[in-house]
Amino acid sequence: MATQTVMKKDGTWESEELLTGTDAVAQAVRLADVDVFSAYPIRPYTGVMDRLAKFIADGKFEAEYIIADGEHSQFEIAKHASSVGARAFAGSSGTGWLFATEALAATATDRLPVLALVGNRALDDPGAFGVEHNDAMLVRDLGWLIVWVSTAQEALDTTLIGYRVAEDPKVRMPCAVAMDGGYLTHSQHMVKIPTKEAVNKFLPPYDLGSRRLHPDNPISIAPQINEDWGMEIRRQNWEAAKRAVGVIRAAYKDFESIFNVSYSNPFFEEFMTEDADTIIVGMGTVTAAAKTAVKQMRKKGEKVGYVKMRWFRPFPSDDLRKVLSKASSVGVIDRDFAHGGPDDAGILFNDIRAAMYKSETRPPMIDFIAGLAGREISIEDVISMYRKTQKAKDEEMDLVTWVRVREKSSSKGKDEK
Amino acid sequence: MTTELDENKETHQEEFPNAKLYNNVHKIDLQEFYTSGHRTCQGCESALVMRDFIKASGPRTVVTGATGCMYVANTSYMTTPWVVPWMHTQLGGGGSSAIGMAAGLRALMRKGKIPKEKINVINFSGDLGGGDMGIGGISNALQTDYDLLVIMYDNESAANTDIQATNLTPYGAQTTFSPTGTKERIMHKRWKKNVAAMLAIGHPNCNYVATACATFPPMDYMNKVKKALSIGGPTFIHTLDPCPKGWDFHPRYSGDLGHLAVETGIFPLYEIVRGEVRYTYDASKKKRIPVREYLEKQGRFSHFVDEDYELVQLKVDEMWEDWEIPGVAPIKGFLKVK
Amino acid sequence: MATTTNIEQEQSIQRFEVNYRGIFQKTLAYRITKDLVYIAHSQGRTAFSNGRYSDDPQRNGVPCANFAFFSDEHSEEELEAIASAKMDIDRANIVSVLDDTMVKGLEPWGHYGIRPINEKVIPNGILLVISRRTPEDLVRFLDKKPFSYRLAIVPGDASFAGLWYYRNDGTDVKMLGAIAKVAPSIINYDKAKDYVRKTYKTDQKIEAFESGYNSVVVTEVAPSQGTEWPYPKPTLPAWNEFEEGIVVKAVPNQFKIGPRGLARNPDYKRGTSKTQRPIVRFDLCTKCTLCWYECPDECFDPTPDGLYDVNYEYCTGCGRCAEVCPVNECIVMVDELNFSDNKSPWESFRKDPKSYTKDIEEKKGKRRMMPSFVTGKGESTSEVHSSVAFKETTKS
Repeated sequence: MATQTVMKKDGTWESEELLTGTDAVAQAVRLADVDVFSAYPIRPYTGVMDRLAKFIADGKFEAEYIIADGEHSQFEIAKHASSVGARAFAGSSGTGWLFATEALAATATDRLPVLALVGNRALDDPGAFGVEHNDAMLVRDLGWLIVWVSTAQEALDTTLIGYRVAEDPKVRMPCAVAMDGGYLTHSQHMVKIPTKEAVNKFLPPYDLGSRRLHPDNPISIAPQINEDWGMEIRRQNWEAAKRAVGVIRAAYKDFESIFNVSYSNPFFEEFMTEDADTIIVGMGTVTAAAKTAVKQMRKKGEKVGYVKMRWFRPFPSDDLRKVLSKASSVGVIDRDFAHGGPDDAGILFNDIRAAMYKSETRPPMIDFIAGLAGREISIEDVISMYRKTQKAKDEEMDLVTWVRVREKSSSKGKDEK
Repeated sequence: MTTELDENKETHQEEFPNAKLYNNVHKIDLQEFYTSGHRTCQGCESALVMRDFIKASGPRTVVTGATGCMYVANTSYMTTPWVVPWMHTQLGGGGSSAIGMAAGLRALMRKGKIPKEKINVINFSGDLGGGDMGIGGISNALQTDYDLLVIMYDNESAANTDIQATNLTPYGAQTTFSPTGTKERIMHKRWKKNVAAMLAIGHPNCNYVATACATFPPMDYMNKVKKALSIGGPTFIHTLDPCPKGWDFHPRYSGDLGHLAVETGIFPLYEIVRGEVRYTYDASKKKRIPVREYLEKQGRFSHFVDEDYELVQLKVDEMWEDWEIPGVAPIKGFLKVK
Repeated sequence: MATTTNIEQEQSIQRFEVNYRGIFQKTLAYRITKDLVYIAHSQGRTAFSNGRYSDDPQRNGVPCANFAFFSDEHSEEELEAIASAKMDIDRANIVSVLDDTMVKGLEPWGHYGIRPINEKVIPNGILLVISRRTPEDLVRFLDKKPFSYRLAIVPGDASFAGLWYYRNDGTDVKMLGAIAKVAPSIINYDKAKDYVRKTYKTDQKIEAFESGYNSVVVTEVAPSQGTEWPYPKPTLPAWNEFEEGIVVKAVPNQFKIGPRGLARNPDYKRGTSKTQRPIVRFDLCTKCTLCWYECPDECFDPTPDGLYDVNYEYCTGCGRCAEVCPVNECIVMVDELNFSDNKSPWESFRKDPKSYTKDIEEKKGKRRMMPSFVTGKGESTSEVHSSVAFKETTKS
């Protein structure tokens, strides 16, 4: 968790309020002076739109507010608002986010810095409201920045940082702020709300420059290409994704100096990893249980540590290698599934394992599929994960373990081979 | 044709004080804002639909084009025929792209981030994108209070994708999805979807809906664009674009096919201004040419036999003689009962 | 573009290209490459065909290309890899042309430039054209090559065979006959004839095949012959040499009355789509504006005297202006090969109305061609006895 100084009366903070994660994002959208937002209802992200609509109704926020006819339209609206130079916000969850996929892909290849809230939700079928990370992860290869937040305060801060990074001329990529549905989207916490003045210091006005669609800047955007152009255009986007790394670091530095709030490494948070021989990596609200588990185990003198992933795209390969290569075994918690993927492991696990391949020392790694469709992950669950991971140092363990899944004890969950 | 040039008495200029309507072809603005150098077919009617809407709208306009012929053919990277700002939108994104641009510009003007001025917002979508996939988004656009215009250019097929049938393909037409064969002479048995009237009837916010044909009657289409852009709020125009490629006729005759579509009554020309229907070519009063003269000039109907022509004629007559609102709404209400 | 392959491979494979004008010649072009593959197959050769994918969707008039590849030594897989694992080819043993106006050059795509029709012809290769023209008539438009090659002419007209209604006029097998004659190493006469007999089962088809075989005339084109190609080939920028975000600058907002007074897309002219061009008798013009009003390619430039100049660089030759023009003989569509430049006709008319009129009347000739509505149903021709007399225009 970010370390924060107490509220100073120096004009940095406006107030402190009890907010849900989606409320916190709504506050950030208001403070960022977003020009256009397009809404469509789907649980659990939708709270942010409810709150923004009320802001409009109460005159606390001035923006064009559009109720779309579906998520595809919702994100087409945001994309084209962004193209004329308007700061745009949208969001969705689960199957709704997937319904928007075509627009999401085009927003990224058009290099338009729309910011979206993804309230993570299990994909249909069967219908489910609970959290699963597969929805946001669907765009992981399409040119979106994706960042996971695990507290309401982080949600507010990261939304401001997200706009700053996405709109940077060196980047100009859309940004998805993801949070665990049902948990962070709905639980309420005290959140410090910065002042407009402080936010303006941090977040410059949105300026598309020579790419703005306006009669004063006549251009054609996204003409049809043939085989002579596709490689070069994709190559440009690849470069932007790489440039994003440095821009993210700079943004967090400024954020710290203006708000006196430090997130140490912007890409992930390390918890008691310095001397840890067993490290578990997780993403989202599982962090609370994981950190508590670490504290309890540390009391018993066990050298365990935890890494909370924040930026999933761009993926912090180098930084992760440095931290994880020091451990003697590593576990990964996947709140997602990848049926038939490499070794039938989860998405986050395989991304980390791919990053570790370059490392001189490669500790054993095991994967935990946990908390799908909103199932809780308890402190005890995490402790049991640490136990398994510790064992993995010197004995062959199952590469993938489904945590807290009902199972007839006879079949031990082993594949018939 | 030439005789009709200087008349066009029925522009109803007085109803549209903010629109400078054309009443004489010699007064049409000479500059082009969609200009030469596009990969459209020889004789392409849809290209004229592009040329004329932007001529009527002028340079203070932003345009999106949904995937389709008028996207793929017009802009070959890294070139463009557009003088005005233009952007691609997804096949079903027409209405939403217009909302996005209109909302963005309004917000920026209201907040003083850009100067206040009237900037026309126009999207064009084809019959596949606008009439089928994107109709929900267009419906949503017509429910807003933004000043925007959606033009559905209708060449009655997915002519950009090898000429497949859409819901606006007329009964019996050959397409790659509805070829004629040894067992089935007619594969496409759906009647053309009545998009303009459907949208007019279903959207109380929409002040202006029209159908049009790019060159006939002269200036009619351009004036409809001017009316749509000046009346305020979201508006919709459906143009019928004879397509030499997909309909299989010589490009020289695109204009003639358009005239015939109107004069046979198979494509009704009207405008609905704040709910009031006005015919811009009244095929119920004027003597209609037999529809066969239109159909037999197109290779896509080359498999027709007499009974097919008769069936289509029957439907056209019904449209003008039995419909509650001739050529517009097929509902048969109390008026007809009396 | 093709990667250069070694000499042995070169000698062991043959490449065939057919250039055609989009949708109304699509079926015809596909039939030719398809038949070639079947015939080669019947000879026990390896062969396959494909089309230039970026031509899709094939707009009418826009130049398109199909390819066929042949070998006696390579497997189909090898042949595919060597000859054609790509969108376009860079050389061919035979480049065939279904509409002789294409000898003036091709511009199939934006930012592509106008390219010579004989660009891909290899040393001693063949350019095979259906035409009523003499070799000299065609060669004057062709790009000078550093080596000699052969020009083969099959007497005949461009066949716009149509789409849903397909005119089966024998042009396809006529081409096969010609190929069997000029390139027996690709398809053998007897096998080809067998194939035509078995496949089409009509005497007309066999006659057409024979006529192609017997009528094709081959002439040597020496390195000195042809023209210095005037059109540059655009260079393609590197990924870090053009703006990110798929942005293209719009055409400048510029217009003034007079020839070339309108700013146009500078990097994609459509003139090479023409089979005929509209020829204007300015002296007969009533200034009704309809040619300008109905032009879907924005090619008519209003002039100070109320006339409409034609920009032939961009005209695609659709004929709508001729169709809508209310004055007899004022706008007439004329064979594109009768013209060697794209100069402003209005300026020539202004310079000397009488000699301009005399000149274009000569080029128009007496024969008038009127296409039927349905493309595949051909055209009707008529003769004008004498051209309409020159009309002194009253200065406006």
